[in-house]
Amino acid sequence: MIEIKDLTKFYGKGESRFKALDGVSVSIEDGEFIVILGASGSGKSTFLNVISGLETSDGGTVAYDGQQLDKMSEKELTKFRRDNTAYIFQQYYLLPHLNVEKNVRMGADLDNNKDYLKFIEAVGLSEKRKKFPAELSGGEQQRVAIARALAKNPKVLFLDEPTGALDEKTGRQVLDYIIKLQQEQGFMMIMVTHNSNIAETSDRIIKMNSGKIVSITENTDKKTAYEIGW
Amino acid sequence: MIVSIKDSVKLFGISIMTCCAVTVCNLFLNYYLDLTAIADLIDNPYAQMFYDAHIMTAKVVCAVSGGCLAITTVVMLFFYIKHYIDIHSKEIGILKALGYSDFKIAKGFSVFGLSVFIGCMTGYLLSFLLMPQFYELQNKDGYLPELSIRFHWILFVLLVIIPTVVFAMIAVCKSLLKLRQPCVNLLKGIVKTKGKSRNTRDKKTFVGEMRSSVLRSRKTLVFFIAFSSFCFSAMIQMSASMKDLSSEMMGLMIFVIGVVLAFTTLYIAVSTVIRSNQKNIAMMRVFGYKNEECKRSVLDGYRPAAYIGFVIGSVYQYGLLRVMVDIVFAGVEGVPKYKFDFPVCFITLGVFIVVYEGIMFAYGQAMKRIPLKQIMSE
Ligand SMILES: Nc1ncnc2c1ncn2[C@@H]1O[C@H](COP(=O)(O)OP(=O)(O)OP(=O)(O)O)[C@@H](O)[C@H]1O
Ligand SMILES: [Mg+2]
Repeated sequence: MIEIKDLTKFYGKGESRFKALDGVSVSIEDGEFIVILGASGSGKSTFLNVISGLETSDGGTVAYDGQQLDKMSEKELTKFRRDNTAYIFQQYYLLPHLNVEKNVRMGADLDNNKDYLKFIEAVGLSEKRKKFPAELSGGEQQRVAIARALAKNPKVLFLDEPTGALDEKTGRQVLDYIIKLQQEQGFMMIMVTHNSNIAETSDRIIKMNSGKIVSITENTDKKTAYEIGW
Repeated sequence: MIVSIKDSVKLFGISIMTCCAVTVCNLFLNYYLDLTAIADLIDNPYAQMFYDAHIMTAKVVCAVSGGCLAITTVVMLFFYIKHYIDIHSKEIGILKALGYSDFKIAKGFSVFGLSVFIGCMTGYLLSFLLMPQFYELQNKDGYLPELSIRFHWILFVLLVIIPTVVFAMIAVCKSLLKLRQPCVNLLKGIVKTKGKSRNTRDKKTFVGEMRSSVLRSRKTLVFFIAFSSFCFSAMIQMSASMKDLSSEMMGLMIFVIGVVLAFTTLYIAVSTVIRSNQKNIAMMRVFGYKNEECKRSVLDGYRPAAYIGFVIGSVYQYGLLRVMVDIVFAGVEGVPKYKFDFPVCFITLGVFIVVYEGIMFAYGQAMKRIPLKQIMSE
């Protein structure tokens, strides 16, 4: 379980100081699938970065099963990430000098996962597994980033616009695969998206605006990736 | 203009390299010219032999150190240009897309000649500072007639003007070659298209694969690391022998040059490796790779090159001194016997291991400070 209390985050100094997160509090249960919606610049990525320990907060706490992130040393944080989290970034961030397969191994090796090829297959890139990121389209790169994160078998998965670069058909396929995997393995999943239809596949929907949570709604009518509009 | 004067200051490695080369070459060439001017004054055969040996030494030293350092400077310059274009590939791509011609962009790279000029000029002045003592030492036994230091314009042109111009031209030509690729590649940052789809053995772990890809993506750095330990090994061992063969001052001079070159090249190489892998390191840490693993994948690949450089350096300095003693100074009396100095070699190796591993450890620690946010910077 993640307990988030009164989280604040500032960017910049002096005059240009900007409150990107403004007193955000929420608790997320194990195995839950959360979708975060909000306008561009509302602080969604910042929220994800702070609760995943990539960035420090300027106030408030984030605790995983009672363990507070800001109390951990850099070494403990690294170990924490190694054992628990995986991240799919809005801009993919693949390693440019490694091919698809090796990029996926980056995640797989941390879990001693020898069966990583199945993730490459699941995102439809078996044919291209020897290609380098610069030789792939944007959507293909995004799928590599997805396979890389899943191959780590995380306990908590953070996704920032994971289907932003995908067309409807591929988007649905990939989303369906991620959701099935999540239900099968029961990991926690926190996804940022602009596509409000995707929210219908989640357990709870958090809406953000200007660094604040404006609403948290329980989704009682959970749909599959093929049942929603796109 | 895409390349600014500030960029050329960052090329201090080249400045240091050329500074060392010009210092040594000017010392010996100036001496050589002053010496040939008094050739007529030599009246006895013993002085003649001494004279010949000195002339020969000057030639050998200039050719070996000048040539060696000139080649390294060219390699370093190429490396800088490639690195510069790699890093700025997006901006350059945009310029090209806007219709700037390759030549217009490449012209800017002539600024790099400035770093050569700074180095050469410093070296040139430095050599004049050292010259009185050098002249005195060369003739400490008084076999040769009294020599006074004279200024030779030709050396200024040869050692300062010409290198500056030549290196500026080399920089322009090299960057022209580098720029001759489609705009899209520059924009997308595809720098290497060679060596793709290599059938890498799948057994290799991610860390192992990362290590070899780091090496592959910047091969020049392997050369620099090897060159760095080559300098360290060759120059320090040579300076130890020089104390017996020639003089303390020569020994000290070689020692200082060796250490300066070794540390500059090592610094340039390692800091470039880390800087160009910052994003990858940050990404590995985001996934939870320990700092130790990041260090292993980014820095450890260079270790073999470093030790090979050390071995080559030992052999090289032995060969060079052997030639000097057996051929150049053959027949000159009073030159001590020269043997490979094992104790010195082992001590140098010991110091090398401590220094090299220590520096790598320190860089490994420094890698901890790369912020995770680094992945998000463009
Ligand atoms: N490093 C930074 N320095 C200064 N301001 C920043 C920084 N990162 C983000 N911001 C600002 O913080 C605010 C929130 O950014 P954030 O990236 O969280 O938005 P977002 O909700 O993810 O938007 P999008 O949907 O466009 O990705 C934005 O106004 C942005 O300008
Ligand atoms: Mg965002």
